[in-house]
Amino acid sequence: MSIDVKNLHPLEVKVLLHVSLNEDITNDRIVHELGYKVGQCNQAFSWLVGRECLAETKRQQKTIYEITETGRQQEKIGTPIERIFILLKSEGSLTLPDIVKRLELEQSEVGSAFGQLSKSNTAVMGSDKQASLVSDAQLPKEAQVMASLLSKAVASDDGCLADADLSDEEKSVITKNSKKRGASGSPFKTSEREDVFYQLTDTGMKTKMALVEANITGEELGELTPQIIANGQWKTSSFRPYNVNAPIAKLVPGRLNPYGEYLQWVKDKLCALGFEEFDGPLVENEFWNGDALFMPQFHSARDIHDVYRLKEPVHCRKIEEPWLSNVARTHENGGDTGSRGWSYKFDEEFTRRQVLRSQGTVLSAHQLTKAKVPGKYFGIARCFRYDEVDATHGADFYQTEGIVLGKDVNLRTLLGILKMFATEIAGAEEVKYVPGYFPFTEPSIEVHIKHPVLGWFELGGSGILRPEVTKPLGIDVPVLAWGLGIDRMALMHLGLNDLRELFSPNIDNVRTRRGN
Amino acid sequence: MPKIETTESMFYGLLGKTLADDQLEMILQRAKAELDGHDVENKTLKLELNDTNRPDLWSAAGLARQLRTYETQKPVLYDFFSTADESFNTDGRRLICHKEAKAVRPYSIGFAASNCTVTEDILIALIQSQEKLCFNFGRKRKTIAMGIYRSELIHYPVHYTGADPDTTSFIPLGMTEKLTLREITQKHPKGIEYGKIVSDKPVFPFLYDDSGEALSFPPVINSAKIGAVKVGDRDLFIEISGTDLKDLLLAASILSCDMADLGFTILPLEVDFEEETEFGSQLVVPYYFQEPISCTKAQLEKVSGLPLDDAEIVASLARMGIHGFVDNDSIYATVPEYRNDFLHAVDLIEDIIIGHGLSCYEPQMPSDFTIGRLSKEEELSRKVKNIMVGLGFQEMIYNYLGSRKEYIDRMNINGDNAICISNPMSENYEMVRPSIIPCLLESESVSGHATYPHSIFEVGKIAYLCPEDNSGTITRNSIGFFSSDSKIGFNQGSSYVNTLMYFLKKDYSLLELEGDNRFIPGRCAGIMINGKQVGCFGEIHPAVLQNWGCNMPSIACEIDLDSIL
Repeated sequence: MSIDVKNLHPLEVKVLLHVSLNEDITNDRIVHELGYKVGQCNQAFSWLVGRECLAETKRQQKTIYEITETGRQQEKIGTPIERIFILLKSEGSLTLPDIVKRLELEQSEVGSAFGQLSKSNTAVMGSDKQASLVSDAQLPKEAQVMASLLSKAVASDDGCLADADLSDEEKSVITKNSKKRGASGSPFKTSEREDVFYQLTDTGMKTKMALVEANITGEELGELTPQIIANGQWKTSSFRPYNVNAPIAKLVPGRLNPYGEYLQWVKDKLCALGFEEFDGPLVENEFWNGDALFMPQFHSARDIHDVYRLKEPVHCRKIEEPWLSNVARTHENGGDTGSRGWSYKFDEEFTRRQVLRSQGTVLSAHQLTKAKVPGKYFGIARCFRYDEVDATHGADFYQTEGIVLGKDVNLRTLLGILKMFATEIAGAEEVKYVPGYFPFTEPSIEVHIKHPVLGWFELGGSGILRPEVTKPLGIDVPVLAWGLGIDRMALMHLGLNDLRELFSPNIDNVRTRRGN
Repeated sequence: MPKIETTESMFYGLLGKTLADDQLEMILQRAKAELDGHDVENKTLKLELNDTNRPDLWSAAGLARQLRTYETQKPVLYDFFSTADESFNTDGRRLICHKEAKAVRPYSIGFAASNCTVTEDILIALIQSQEKLCFNFGRKRKTIAMGIYRSELIHYPVHYTGADPDTTSFIPLGMTEKLTLREITQKHPKGIEYGKIVSDKPVFPFLYDDSGEALSFPPVINSAKIGAVKVGDRDLFIEISGTDLKDLLLAASILSCDMADLGFTILPLEVDFEEETEFGSQLVVPYYFQEPISCTKAQLEKVSGLPLDDAEIVASLARMGIHGFVDNDSIYATVPEYRNDFLHAVDLIEDIIIGHGLSCYEPQMPSDFTIGRLSKEEELSRKVKNIMVGLGFQEMIYNYLGSRKEYIDRMNINGDNAICISNPMSENYEMVRPSIIPCLLESESVSGHATYPHSIFEVGKIAYLCPEDNSGTITRNSIGFFSSDSKIGFNQGSSYVNTLMYFLKKDYSLLELEGDNRFIPGRCAGIMINGKQVGCFGEIHPAVLQNWGCNMPSIACEIDLDSIL
């Protein structure tokens, strides 16, 4: 196994550089010799074993005495024996209850400590229940040992004393003052631990050589801090190289919605092709949604646009003139459009009925009343259809529509514009034009394209607006009208196949979605 | 769009040749039709007809006729049409339209057909034609209904009248007992489906022969005797009733041409109207009523961008099944019997273009110079989006329709200003959103697994009631943003608002907002510009969060962009 030494952590590096083949490597050793904390040591061993640089050779049981809170307290203020000894030394004689009171000890503690003093012939109890030290009294040996054990334990990193490190005398003292599970009041807690022994492996040796060769010491600078820059340490040290392929944290950036970005792109494209954007309200009326487009109020063609109606207000107040009269006349008898009209009585109440815009062409109709000649206009309009919602039908969706007004535009210009859309917006390889049917255009053309990924499909519908549409709205030049089904391309662009996904409320889906 | 189904044998028999699917698809374009499916096992074709103004194409015979003619360039001649000037003798076949019918369904016409044995294919085709004409063209039988009868059982003249629904009775098709007309509308499946067309009228339509034998109760059901046509019959009587005589005549023309193409001999019928009609008081059906149509060569060139010579024009018309000729600058055409879709010169021009072939028209770029431009609203929207993205927010795009539960109930508002749909398809889509905030909360409610903080926004439209407007409603461009995190709060929201307004160069002040149940009281504010409130923000009320099943502290803000444009 070959190891990239740059991947080694300084804790690993220093261990490897410190040890040699056939030596026992233990936690204690590294703690003592390299000044590691126990945790750092464990970490370094675990990584190095994982890399097969170290191998475990044996385990050894050992008994550990860990100082308790009581022990630490005693180390500070003295053990009960010490304190009684000192008190009696200064006060001469005292009753045991007095000692309890003076030292704020438990009665049992004083009892057992005095027991030890009297057993070692250091103190005696007089007939008057007065306790006093014998003359020339010395603190018993055992208490001295205990005091030294406590200070040793406090001085150690982890408050632990290992059985193996203690003299026989110390062992005999500590075992008396240590309890398993550390019963409260006992200064030490006894526990059994395992010492794990490791040795350097061949891989470890090779890695060590590689470290030496790469001149990596483990003392390289890690994070660059303002202090290091200021104090110039960077001039004399080298920087620890990082593994550039190390796992990284994922970021959550602020982002545009990729579908929105695609729509923006289409808008920019259309602007670049000379089109000006239009927009309008979501609530329309039958007049603009159908009548102005010369769709007869009774005709089945109107079924194509099954629409949502408003509960309230059912009707708008009025339809603007002269559009209303012009359109009504055109439906009834053609008006002055040269058409024979639909030969029926135009319903002026029905025409005021309010609906949710069902087709983007409504905006084109509105635009005709204020359009310039020549003029090119487009809109990406949210539309609503009375449709069962599924993978190919949304409750509401965007339609991309537009018109071209010009004195000399005709069928061939229409084909030219469609071709321009096909190549510029859809990236088509081939374009095919097919006769189509739309109630408001004549002639009507469908444009089919061969897309490099999707193959042949219908890109959109178009045509020359009927004179029955343009004349009543005050336009005397031919008007080309077109609509593009860009959702299909948007889905492909986003790698999706369900229209509903374009409007997904799921934050994770949208965050991770990418366009092509 | 109407769709029809036909057997391969019938369709290709009528077409005069068999085609591979891709060849068929290619030529179907000439009739604005598409191959919708080909069931190879059952040898049937499914065809979709896109031109809703050409009911003559909604049958195998009519569609095949159009495609056949395109290649032969020979319009089919039908010799059984009477005109205003010349009527065929009908050998006593007569239908009398009594004036009583006027109160319910004024007209009935018809014709007879014989000399061809009804096969299963033909029977299915006739039923389909009847269905398409009455359902699509006749608006679910409301304006056109059609019945087919066994002609040999009929004693002419046939009578069409308005009859008393409670005393007139016969055995309807599919039943064995006599029912009154009213009982039929209540008990017979077809009566339940179509009875409502006439059920509020004082009299019901009734068709019977001179011996008093019932033919049918139009537009509902035939009689079980004369009205039960089956395979093997050779003599048929077709009757068409409705409200507009011209539509009925066109339906009769379409059906008679189809039946002639199928091999029937069409036998004309004299129809006598007790009350004068736009065509007088007597007609012989099938009847040619269409006016000639014309356009100029200049118009043709103006629309198509390509001049054609006289021969090309005549040939193009012939391919479309139209007799035409050119006289100086004018193009005159005789409208085929089965069509009535020429409203304007442009309709004739389109037929010439298709007849000539779309592929003959070279695309040409428009020469006019125009300036492209985004709307002001779009420009502002992009500016706002860029600021929000810079603040770490994810742009969302939502549907504009939703439920009252989402938009109103869960927001703890009364929803007085919401625009409701009167004919919702489902309660999931019953109103237009009056605010973006519920959409943002919906995101929160389905995104518990997404890494926090959740910072999202949308720039989009909202709409609500507005009595001052002509429509009583108003649509506004709006920005809504939302952020949820264990440490989010009002101050953070205020910082976002401040940054947004700074870069939009808008001086604003904040006003304590009262009585808005969406927010925690005392932790929400109205955003004021020039003394007018343009938006609000605050900490979402825990009650609202719980309504949405959310448990992360959240802030939301909404600002009306149109008022800061």
